[in-house]
Amino acid sequence: MTDHRILATAQQLGSRAMSWLHTCHERGFGRLPDDVTIDLADPNNAYKPLAESALAASLVLRDGVTGPEDARIARELLDFGWSQLREGNLLYERLLRYPVMTDPLETYVHFARSGYRHPALEELLESLAKVRGIQAIEMMPNRRLALANARRVIGLRNQPDDWPELTARTWLGATPEPWAIDWLTGYHITHAVFHLTDWGAQPESMPEPMRDYVRNWLPVWVDTWLEVGQWDLVGELLVVDSCIGEPVTGAQGWEALAAIQREDGLIPRESAEPVSDDPEQAFRDHEHTAVVAVVAGTVTLSRALGGAAVPA
Amino acid sequence: MNAPRPRNTAKPTSKEKHATMPTADLALRDEYAAAVERLAGHTLDALRGAGGAVAPAPAFPGTGPVPRPVLAAARVLGPDVLAPQALGATGPDEQAVLLLAEAHRAFPPSAFPAPAPSTVPPADADQERAAGAALVTAWRDWGTAVLLARALGPAADALLPGATGENAGEDTDLGAPQPGHAPHPEPYAWQAWSVRMAQLSALALPGLDGPVHDAAREHSLALARGAVRSVLRCDQRVAARLTRWLAWLAADGRELPLEVEPMLERIRTVGDGSARTALELAVAERLLTGGVS
Repeated sequence: MTDHRILATAQQLGSRAMSWLHTCHERGFGRLPDDVTIDLADPNNAYKPLAESALAASLVLRDGVTGPEDARIARELLDFGWSQLREGNLLYERLLRYPVMTDPLETYVHFARSGYRHPALEELLESLAKVRGIQAIEMMPNRRLALANARRVIGLRNQPDDWPELTARTWLGATPEPWAIDWLTGYHITHAVFHLTDWGAQPESMPEPMRDYVRNWLPVWVDTWLEVGQWDLVGELLVVDSCIGEPVTGAQGWEALAAIQREDGLIPRESAEPVSDDPEQAFRDHEHTAVVAVVAGTVTLSRALGGAAVPA
Repeated sequence: MNAPRPRNTAKPTSKEKHATMPTADLALRDEYAAAVERLAGHTLDALRGAGGAVAPAPAFPGTGPVPRPVLAAARVLGPDVLAPQALGATGPDEQAVLLLAEAHRAFPPSAFPAPAPSTVPPADADQERAAGAALVTAWRDWGTAVLLARALGPAADALLPGATGENAGEDTDLGAPQPGHAPHPEPYAWQAWSVRMAQLSALALPGLDGPVHDAAREHSLALARGAVRSVLRCDQRVAARLTRWLAWLAADGRELPLEVEPMLERIRTVGDGSARTALELAVAERLLTGGVS
């Protein structure tokens, strides 16, 4: 049973991060350029922050463990994002022109989860699922899990049925030496767990040996990245802790994140770099960590309250 | 996007140390540290069967006074002075036994009284550290006393009061009174506990068994976590010491949550260039290949 003090910290951390995200969006940060086209030169800069806010908001609504104000903010963030994507048309046109791109699917899933649907885009996704050339695209194994989970959440007819194989291909699937890890591998671990368990909704989707393995070593990884002040990765590891069952890492990580969260809700992504005085730059630098904190808070509370994960 | 690196903010910089330590003390410290390295090197050679004694002349009684740094080094290495014979790499090593005995005479264990088991939690972190350090010293002395008592027989009694007397064996059948309780991990405190167990790695030898070993058996995951944490923090000595405990557990027939050989290989490859760490690794390797018995 998660300590109630941890839950209180998690709730406050997530709620304040959500509020900061919302304020930033109200100030126009993260807005797509007016002349944006489907030929996005760099989707990571163009609409990744928008998709990430949508992810956080969609999980807040899915888990339903938040207060009315946070729920309202979540809905506003999704409305804002959906309008920025021109009700999904931007994603549809992009995928139509570039069928090999995966970001339209990975972005659409957050909106679809919350009831924003684009039937033509879904038809296109169904059609492309039958193209072997697209299935065979080379990518990181945890990214492949992301696509599989997106299809699962959207409810597409053509879904991968080889979850065990997809899972086995990840770093975690090898249950390797837990010290043979670096910062980037840390993110591969977290993302494999996110997608495999659909952000904590299906802890049982994690094969038992893999779950035991993560429970053995997660405390070490949290400790290691706490010591070097990699707050963003620590936050993701705390999400993992809640995604796989009874958390094992205790209060240490939560207290550290709460201690470095600023009054306005911003959480620095790492201790090494000072936070920019320019609010828009600060948003660009630290929005991901805010998203992580929102997800960590909502998934942790949801799991502790019995995992009330329901389709939106 | 590199592997994480600890900031080590808790450790004083060498500049800070210099600022607070007189030059004479520094020279003395270096001399003692060098003596520990030399003795660890001799022990390592003996363990590897490279010939030579752990305590070559004139480092043992009978050939003249043993230099004080050598005696201090023997106290620092403690039970590990006798590791080669405990691990069966050499026969009984009288010189090593006499050196350790002489070291105990020069720096008697009574100078570090064993803390009484306390039911009251420490008032603050400093008090906890002090209590932990005293406990570590007491347990290391216990390990040395057991090995010496076994090697010297009744002659050890003058040196180690109670080791072989009437009261010996009350707590243990090993012939030396045990210093209270073993360090025990608090919930979520595996980090601090594993560091303490690393300081007690010299007890991970065949022929020594007691509450500290039971704690290792009971908390093998905490030991393994500590070992992995130390590798990630590039703290090779603590990593080597905890891996030695894991090797001891493997030799004891325990199932471990971690493969020991790749850890050893990794620590050996990176290393820290010291004979002390190399000795820890060599003991671990010997435990893995030779078993505890």
